[in-house]
Amino acid sequence: MAASLALTQQPSFSTKLRKLAISQEGILLIAIIVLFVAVGAYNQRFLSANNLSSIFLGNAYIAVAAIGMSMVIISGNIDVSVGSLIGVLATISGTLAVNGWPLWLAWTIPILVGMAISAVNGWLVAYMRVPSIVVTLGMLSILKGGLISITAGAWINNLPDGFHLAQLRPLGVPMAVWFMIVLTILAAAWMRYSAFGRSIYAVGGNAEAARLAGIDRKRTVFIVFVIHGFFAGIAAILFATQLSVIQSTVPPNLELTVITASVVGGVSILGGTGTVVGSTLAAILIAAIGSSLVFINVSPYWLRAVQGLLILLTVLADLARRSKRARHR
Amino acid sequence: MASTVATHGQHERYAGFKRHEVILLFVLIAAIALLAFRSEQFLTTGNLLNQGRLLVEVGLMALPMTFIIITGGIDLSVGSIMGLCAILLGVFWQKLGLPLEGAIALSILVGAFAGFVNGWFITRVGVPPLIMTLATLALYRGLAEGISQARSVRGYPEWFLQLGQGELFGVPTQLWLLLVFFVITAIVLTFTTFGRSLYAIGNNEVAARFSGIPVDRIKTSIYTMSGLMGGLAAWVFVSRVSTTRSDMGTGLELDVITAVVLGGTSIFGGTGTILGTALGVVLIQLLKNGLALSGVKGDGTIVVIGVILILSILVSDLLRRQRGAEH
Amino acid sequence: MKKTLFTALSLSVLLGSASAMAQSRWDGADDLPVAPLACDGTAGAVEAKPYDGAQPTNAPDRAGKKLTLVDVPKLIGIGYFNATSKGMQDAAKELGNVEVTTDGPTKANIDEQITFIDNYITRGVDGILFAANDTVAIAPVLKKALESGIHAIGYDSNSTPDSREWFVNQAEFNGIAKAMVDNMAKEIGEDGSFAIVTSTFTTPNQARWIAEMSAYAEACHPNMKWLETVEAQEDNILSFNQASTLINKYGDELKGIFGMTSVATPASAEAVTQAGQCGKISVVGLSTPNSMRPYVKSDCVKSVVLWNPVDLGYAAVYAARAAADGKLKPGATELEAGKLGKLPVVNGSEILLGPPFVYDKSNIDNFDF
Repeated sequence: MAASLALTQQPSFSTKLRKLAISQEGILLIAIIVLFVAVGAYNQRFLSANNLSSIFLGNAYIAVAAIGMSMVIISGNIDVSVGSLIGVLATISGTLAVNGWPLWLAWTIPILVGMAISAVNGWLVAYMRVPSIVVTLGMLSILKGGLISITAGAWINNLPDGFHLAQLRPLGVPMAVWFMIVLTILAAAWMRYSAFGRSIYAVGGNAEAARLAGIDRKRTVFIVFVIHGFFAGIAAILFATQLSVIQSTVPPNLELTVITASVVGGVSILGGTGTVVGSTLAAILIAAIGSSLVFINVSPYWLRAVQGLLILLTVLADLARRSKRARHR
Repeated sequence: MASTVATHGQHERYAGFKRHEVILLFVLIAAIALLAFRSEQFLTTGNLLNQGRLLVEVGLMALPMTFIIITGGIDLSVGSIMGLCAILLGVFWQKLGLPLEGAIALSILVGAFAGFVNGWFITRVGVPPLIMTLATLALYRGLAEGISQARSVRGYPEWFLQLGQGELFGVPTQLWLLLVFFVITAIVLTFTTFGRSLYAIGNNEVAARFSGIPVDRIKTSIYTMSGLMGGLAAWVFVSRVSTTRSDMGTGLELDVITAVVLGGTSIFGGTGTILGTALGVVLIQLLKNGLALSGVKGDGTIVVIGVILILSILVSDLLRRQRGAEH
Repeated sequence: MKKTLFTALSLSVLLGSASAMAQSRWDGADDLPVAPLACDGTAGAVEAKPYDGAQPTNAPDRAGKKLTLVDVPKLIGIGYFNATSKGMQDAAKELGNVEVTTDGPTKANIDEQITFIDNYITRGVDGILFAANDTVAIAPVLKKALESGIHAIGYDSNSTPDSREWFVNQAEFNGIAKAMVDNMAKEIGEDGSFAIVTSTFTTPNQARWIAEMSAYAEACHPNMKWLETVEAQEDNILSFNQASTLINKYGDELKGIFGMTSVATPASAEAVTQAGQCGKISVVGLSTPNSMRPYVKSDCVKSVVLWNPVDLGYAAVYAARAAADGKLKPGATELEAGKLGKLPVVNGSEILLGPPFVYDKSNIDNFDF
């Protein structure tokens, strides 16, 4: 106690460090570093450039989708249809590409379609006052059923050269990772410094106060869903362009993975708090855990149990941190 | 999220959910009439009783889920609890050599304990329900996989299969079980202090706490109940399909929540009835069945259910608002 | 403090209740014995088994009459069952007096599959073609179908024999296992190390294949080293991630990857391609030609093992027709299956499609499924 008092009187580098360390982003960063060091010590190949690249490359689309999901959750809503949406958009992208559409259209049309579908969700939630879980549960069924009716899960192959955006490596770093980093930074800055970004927090945190502050709640929620559709669209493009073949189907449980990344990243499901930096770090942590379990020879039967336990521990660490801070006050 | 509810008046909300059930009943009757018109096998006693058999697991889990959602919570782990209990039932019986009766009882107890763990973390540690049960969704399923080592347990004696495959007074045995629990939960929710406390917690948890309602104890108990029902559903399910697998009940949580929400329980908490949930469960089952009988395929059926889910909530809310405007 | 203690306690109880079991030899997650084939491929003495299927009771005489069949695969919306369904339509068109509809759950879920079959029994069809999600769980509803005089024919994935008339077996488990392991040994040498990417450990067919592969490799290629098996659901990118992780983990030690599903195999090939390890790490797997075309064409994958799922669906419809016409009765030794010729009856009540087929660069363009 005394030590921390002394520290608050003398703001120094170590205080800043400590502040960072006790934020959710800090906890995640520490967890990632500890994990990398520990598993790396056990098996050095874990830290090889190839493996690091795999961890980031194979999961960047989850991080990108989690950015939009975080905004939706911060605004006090949820979207359980995102996995189906990504499946549908990836199929659209691949279908356009094999039918000879210019590549830039095969990459951009799915993003627009994603924004349009998500706008329907947003309109129902914001203006028609249907709870977001109801709207998106319904949308999940509609998208999944629709996709199966139309494609029957056929494989899309013979994709044209150059379609595989995610496989490009500018400056030696996979394109998908560039997308993840740049979009996270842009979204984080926008959420923090723009008036609209801050209004998302206001709407999710205290709708009444937001109304008094002159924020149009409905418009804000609607726009958040449209933006979420944009990120889902980009995630779908990364998903579609990563492998040389696309199966026109809905990736199983993807929505749960994306939501998990958001909540582990410190986005409160009650709305109003959280950052997209946290959700991206969480997506990386979850990916790294998946990879490390293979490296440390955890019997694969127990894999899912360990994952569940880790989510729980992260959340408990977050709660412990908050109650500690409350006590310090 | 909670504030949206707080803006409605007590009276209006009461009228609102009554209204929703009437609408739902109307939709149900319309659906039955339409489906009976499209397929002559649909409206037969045999088919309807058989559908009754198939909806019991979702129905059992939907009852406590209604309680939980009324308090503003959610339980995403029910499907995984069902999977865990199913596996434990088999393992206790075959691997540990317990008598089958004991294995059933013990597996249901573990289900209740799994639910209790959810409730304990939610109330005592303050983990939000969605996150807690998201974590245990993975954890309990993982335990089921780990314990079973992906092995099935088969070869149950004939008497064990009676519950899931047999009949009692001409009605599928497990349907009696569901009916009993339906009546109990409906009475508890409507006529007891406990039931009224659930609404109070859902409307305004802080106020409920200040008015002396043991909020934490009540919440812990309903999550425990949810786990217990998961265990019970596992017993019914294993008995119906005569084997255990660790992937049983995967994704069932969404079916359960869909039924409850369709039944008019607001996801924001504070409103909902057991009757509404029962109508929701029946409507979804009959729609799936009726559409299949009239030649709509599985992929088309889930589209229809998605549309109906959104529309029913939309229409009921629009009507409620119209009523509100008249006042 | 009390909270922390309880937290730790409840977690450890949960984990402790499942005391970690040592990973024993893969046995396919059930208690069936394995039956590895002889190393040189000579057929062992096959015991002739009497018919062990079950017949529909009081089935109306359907000989020569129009048949309405329903096909309930494990799930709809994946390429593989799209292909079997195509074969069924082909057969129906050829026969002229059969109508087949494919309908099923959107996820490989035993519960939903049972419900679908139940609905079709109520609706009243002449026959049900199924690919079981679980051997035992599907049995009660199939027995109900037989009791209602409905023909029940399995394909791809069997049920217990006493709950269906016939099962069209695409290739016997030990035959697939031999083809897979022999091809791998040819590519990576007798002392190479390999890993396996599968969907889930509970998927019955995959689990049986792995069990048979393990037994066959032990007997016939004893110096090959099985490093590890990983789960990757039916998820493209997860399979890709898992295969990449295996490559990164074992480095030069890893010489080959088996893909057990039509999702895992192309994703493993992709991982090898993107890691620049083509030619150094071999991928051998079960998959459909369409999903593997880019990798076979780029020479990264030399051979893909599979039966033809279109033929499998085709044969299932012919079996149903023959059963309804009274031509395929208990004790029959072969089935006349249109363009496929005569298919032998093995193992009591199974119709064998033939040995597994190996696709390579020379013939992959002849197939579109």
